[in-house]
Amino acid sequence: MKGNGDIRIGFYICHCGTNIAGLIDVARIAEYAGTLPGVVVARDYKYMCSDPGQDLLREDIAAYHLMRIVVASCSPLLHEQTFRRAAEKGGINPYFVQMVNIREHGTWVHDDAEYMTGKAMDMVRAAVLRVYAHQPLERKQVPITPDVLIVGGGIAGIHAALTMADAGKHVYLVEREPTIGGHMAQFDKTFPTLDCAACILTPKMTAVKAHPNITLWTWSEVEKVDGFIGNFTVTVKRKARYVDEDLCVGCMECIEACIYKQGKFPDEFNMGLSKRKPIFIPFPQAVPPVPVIDPGQCLHLKKGTCKDTCVEICADRKAINFEQEPEYKEIEVGAIILATGFTPFDATRIPYYGYGKYPNVYTALELERLVNASGPTGGEVRLPDGRTPERVAIVHCVGSRDEHYNRWCSRVCCMYSMKLAHLVKEKTHAEIFNFYIDMRAPGKSMEEFYNRISSEGIHLVRGRVADVYPETLEKKTNGQIGRVIVQAEDTLIGRIRKIPVDMLILSTGLQPRIDAEEIRRMFNISCSAGGFFLERHPKLAPVNTFTDGIFLAGTCQGPKDIPDTVAQAGAAASEALALIDRGVFELEPNTAYIMEDDCSGCKSCIPLCPYTAIAFKEEKQKAEINEALCKGCGTCVASCPSGSIRQHLFEDEEIYREIRGLLAYA
Amino acid sequence: MLAGEEVIEQMWGVSLDRLYDSDEGQRILSCIQCGTCAGACPYGEHMLYPPRRIITMLKAGLIEDVFDSDSLFKCVNCYTCMTKCPRNIRLTEILLPLVKEQSAVRLEEMPAELQKAIENTYRYGNTYGESARKRAAWIETIEVPIRILAKDPAPVDILWFVECDLSYHPRGQAAARATALLFHLLGLDFAILGPEERCAGDCGRLSWEPGLAETLVDYNLSIFDKYTFNRIVTNDPHALDAFKFRYPMFAFKHKTTATVPELYAHLDRLKPMLTKKLDYLVTYHDSCCLGRHNGFYDEPRALLEAIPGVRLVEMDHNRENSICCGGGGGGMWLDTWYKQQGIERLSDRRLREVIATRANVLAVACPYEVSRFEDAVKLAGYEDRIIVRDITELLVEAIGGH
Amino acid sequence: MNETIETTQTAQPWRPRIVAFFCNWCTYTAADLAGVSRMKYAPNTRIIRVMCSGRIDPQFVLEALSEGADGVLIGGCHPGDCHYAEGNYKALRRFHLLRRMLIGMGIDEKRFRLEWISASEGDKVKTVINDMVEQLQQLGPLDIPARRKAWDVELEEAKAQVPRYEEFEEAAHV
Ligand SMILES: Cc1cc2nc3c(=O)[nH]c(=O)nc-3n(C[C@H](O)[C@H](O)[C@H](O)COP(=O)(O)OP(=O)(O)OC[C@H]3O[C@@H](n4cnc5c(N)ncnc54)[C@H](O)[C@@H]3O)c2cc1C
Ligand code: SF4
Ligand code: SF4
Ligand code: SF4
Ligand code: SF4
Ligand code: FES
Repeated sequence: MKGNGDIRIGFYICHCGTNIAGLIDVARIAEYAGTLPGVVVARDYKYMCSDPGQDLLREDIAAYHLMRIVVASCSPLLHEQTFRRAAEKGGINPYFVQMVNIREHGTWVHDDAEYMTGKAMDMVRAAVLRVYAHQPLERKQVPITPDVLIVGGGIAGIHAALTMADAGKHVYLVEREPTIGGHMAQFDKTFPTLDCAACILTPKMTAVKAHPNITLWTWSEVEKVDGFIGNFTVTVKRKARYVDEDLCVGCMECIEACIYKQGKFPDEFNMGLSKRKPIFIPFPQAVPPVPVIDPGQCLHLKKGTCKDTCVEICADRKAINFEQEPEYKEIEVGAIILATGFTPFDATRIPYYGYGKYPNVYTALELERLVNASGPTGGEVRLPDGRTPERVAIVHCVGSRDEHYNRWCSRVCCMYSMKLAHLVKEKTHAEIFNFYIDMRAPGKSMEEFYNRISSEGIHLVRGRVADVYPETLEKKTNGQIGRVIVQAEDTLIGRIRKIPVDMLILSTGLQPRIDAEEIRRMFNISCSAGGFFLERHPKLAPVNTFTDGIFLAGTCQGPKDIPDTVAQAGAAASEALALIDRGVFELEPNTAYIMEDDCSGCKSCIPLCPYTAIAFKEEKQKAEINEALCKGCGTCVASCPSGSIRQHLFEDEEIYREIRGLLAYA
Repeated sequence: MLAGEEVIEQMWGVSLDRLYDSDEGQRILSCIQCGTCAGACPYGEHMLYPPRRIITMLKAGLIEDVFDSDSLFKCVNCYTCMTKCPRNIRLTEILLPLVKEQSAVRLEEMPAELQKAIENTYRYGNTYGESARKRAAWIETIEVPIRILAKDPAPVDILWFVECDLSYHPRGQAAARATALLFHLLGLDFAILGPEERCAGDCGRLSWEPGLAETLVDYNLSIFDKYTFNRIVTNDPHALDAFKFRYPMFAFKHKTTATVPELYAHLDRLKPMLTKKLDYLVTYHDSCCLGRHNGFYDEPRALLEAIPGVRLVEMDHNRENSICCGGGGGGMWLDTWYKQQGIERLSDRRLREVIATRANVLAVACPYEVSRFEDAVKLAGYEDRIIVRDITELLVEAIGGH
Repeated sequence: MNETIETTQTAQPWRPRIVAFFCNWCTYTAADLAGVSRMKYAPNTRIIRVMCSGRIDPQFVLEALSEGADGVLIGGCHPGDCHYAEGNYKALRRFHLLRRMLIGMGIDEKRFRLEWISASEGDKVKTVINDMVEQLQQLGPLDIPARRKAWDVELEEAKAQVPRYEEFEEAAHV
């Protein structure tokens, strides 16, 4: 029953030392394989993956004019590429190879030699039948545009941008706010080292501005993303700033000169704890050091009736331009790094913590501004009535670890709560109570930090705060803000504590940006259950997404502290670099394709594709698969009612042959 | 926070030994011992075993000790612990009633008042020990025609389940009259069961007498079966709870709502009738069952705000963070017992918040509350400064000419 | 290629044969891990690799059963972990439909099984396969190929009883 003349198959079984040959009689199997249709040569060899093993393949291809190869050995996940390469070197299409996994799925898991021999024969037969139907396939190569887009200029975006730019790549850094810096710019000190945030962040921010390879677009947002790995076309909207970035010299005289002598509008950067003018700069070290005008507040822009004192002082620098319109930039990039960060949990969602109701209840981010020397109070921790608090409570886990709000642990709150305890104590000598559920201090230097702060004499109460209410029901008449009582069970002593405090700080957790879902859709990536962007693999591909060419950095992927954010940003940058430096991207050939004549235009495949690779061509009334987007899952193939979708390397016919081969009723 | 269909199903027939067979029971094992439940409980500081410790004892196999304590006699079924529990453990719905039952069995002597109330309910179908025949006596005191189904069994839209307090207690009867008038003016098609009605049994079940509750459920179900109606409306949020969460375990399928949301549904027609200006500064006390357990926070406030002249102020604890009046879970009949234990009544505590708002009217929507708060007002010596009114009474007052 | 191939199942007592379709990223990898960890399990399963459980066409399952498999096992990533985001949900949906159909055809539901097995769950591969083999052992052979012959005979008989059967069949095919 030698070949039917057309397809000539070579069969090889590997001893793998004793790993395979120790249990089954490989020669017997080779002999059996030799009886199978199309097989013109069948051999057993000690180590097929070794160089001589591969040479054997190549020589046989030449000697026997082999057209297909079957190798029975280990898992294809291990050596499929090896044998494909060998086949290619031997002069046949690499996809004419089929492997039989008789080690991992055979001799390693079974010990009945006789039965295992039968099983191996079944598997060999299936592979021989299958490989017969294999088609020559080609890997498509897509060239990669060398520029990158980074969305979000927090510490993650900044670090990734600098890494890539230093490697000589051109980076577009798009930041929604008037300055880069993100949340870190708002902090005074950072755990676990208690070093000054500005001292470590500002130099990096200036470096971004100065770097010849970085195009920094602040006050800008991504509007549209088209294309795919290597070739994204992105539209960025640059909102009108009304101050020309090229002409402004950063003297800030306009702010001084604004017709509003005092700040009038809540200052976002200071969490509304101070007032700013309609023309402002978020903070002195902002990058770029260019003011921005809020069109809803500026008299000229709102009513057209201002004396334009800002323009006057700016004089012949002519940087202020009320006529400015939003600009749309279209850029081509090969890779995208998302670094859009997090939003703190909205404390008003837990009504019983009194945020927004009692003036002495603060969020942690507000406290970051209060303890900050460049903050609204110059670093003094004062109550709204001007007094210095004598007793302060800090509530951990606000909005985190809670089925009603966010289920996850926000990972940084315990440590920043300890940091705030230290800073507030240092500045006010107040008595501090930290209410926690579990003290979470994982990672380098964190437990040490916790030890250090807890020995500074703060009260640690193990219990989640259950209620906050005023100490006295009568309103104070002297303008003083009354204390609030913090009520919780101290679970370690089993007693309900009601502790009156002057100031209450809510350590709100980290959650996805409000617009994470929109961004996700724009960039065609996925979100995890909680709404953070989903990484391709939680352990092995933590900065990749399921969309090739799009990477994640920082807290947009999940809660983390600054060290981890920076590490991840570095990783995202090097993944993007590796991609760009390759210059081309090879697409796996196992993509799906549509037999146009058979497609009935029912559209049922279109919503199935997780990568929106299938489009409906209205002109032809047929579906079409974009091979560059298809990842080859085959879901559409299995569901096409007219059977018109097929998949390279996993053709129906190939699989049917495998099934029949396995079961030996051909 | 509100129980969904599946949760209700899960509550059916769960017993302590089969606790972990249900998902909701298993959830108890996920307790992180945060103490929110204990810290939030209005009587937490008086309990040796607040919910958190009950769970620890349960896990440690020491639950017998909890049964032997009187901790859960101090639970007023206010749903606060359950609402705030970050693990969403259905404490008040599932775990606490099971423990309460056992504690009640072990108790040497039931507090006398409670014992009496339970006996009365067994015997007469109401906690007051009044004759069942007199249940509809109050309708003689008003002009509005009220149909009693036993006399005229024609199909009706609303079966108005009046409940014991509105039927027998003088202050409750005032709310009953007000409700009847409002229903009448709104042209609703309603009828009552009259002498055939018996206590819905929610407080019975939750105050450790599941046997009693089941008897009442069986009885009421048999009466419901006699008549044709579209839905049940009741003034008593505890009865609402009973119908929504417990009766379905016994194949009860009727749609049920409370009077407040029912009136709210007709607000556009009701509003033009509210012509008389009431110059009141009102604060509203959220009933636990109506608010925390069924989510009606806005409806009662909207009704009050519809009254011309009424200004609404909020107490420090309001809506989901409201404090129980102390009447739930049998608390209604434990005031003396609490006093013996040296525990402040919750209605007294709550009244201090009312006073702090400077409101002159305390509006309520649960029949227990009128009498409880009127007592508290008297005790505090505020009779001439604060009046307690059911929302229905205020609405009727605002309708000129009544 | 229409050559007949002899079956290799000879002279051995009957043992159930399972065709398993495992997705490349989770379950196939888990089966590899079971191997690397040298776990021993019943040798009755033949694994076919597909990229994702979403690729598994119900026809594959039917084909396997009608070609003589005693059971079919589908393995995919846990919900939420599918390498292609949601192929496994599609697989799950198809699984339910197909299972109902198979039950309708009188095939015991234990013969068709779907399991979520992540790449780290080598031991689950072992327990699932052992468990399924045990169940099939109790159920005995399904042997549709043999039954098919009987069905063919029945069908022919039935056809003979339907007057003008060919016309129907033709009408059904246009
Ligand atoms: C109160 C508090 C204290 C903390 N203290 C510490 C500490 O002491 N030590 C420590 O290690 N960690 C601390 N952290 C954690 C720390 O804040 C984060 O690890 C870090 O800021 C994450 O940086 P990021 O770049 O990922 O995100 P972010 O800082 O949030 O930056 C994201 C940036 O992206 C921009 N952006 C968002 N969406 C878009 C969009 N669609 N288009 C363009 N731009 C966009 C934002 O404007 C922002 O500039 C603290 C967190 C909090 C809440
Ligand atoms: S135009 Fe007037 S209001 Fe606007 S920024 Fe200039 S000075 Fe200020
Ligand atoms: S095989 Fe998968 S990725 Fe490719 S087009 Fe079909 S559904 Fe989309
Ligand atoms: S609030 Fe919930 S999680 Fe916390 S201790 Fe009580 S039962 Fe446990
Ligand atoms: S239901 Fe109310 S009274 Fe009972 S334990 Fe919970 S919080 Fe306490
Ligand atoms: S890749 Fe495993 S189920 Fe989709």
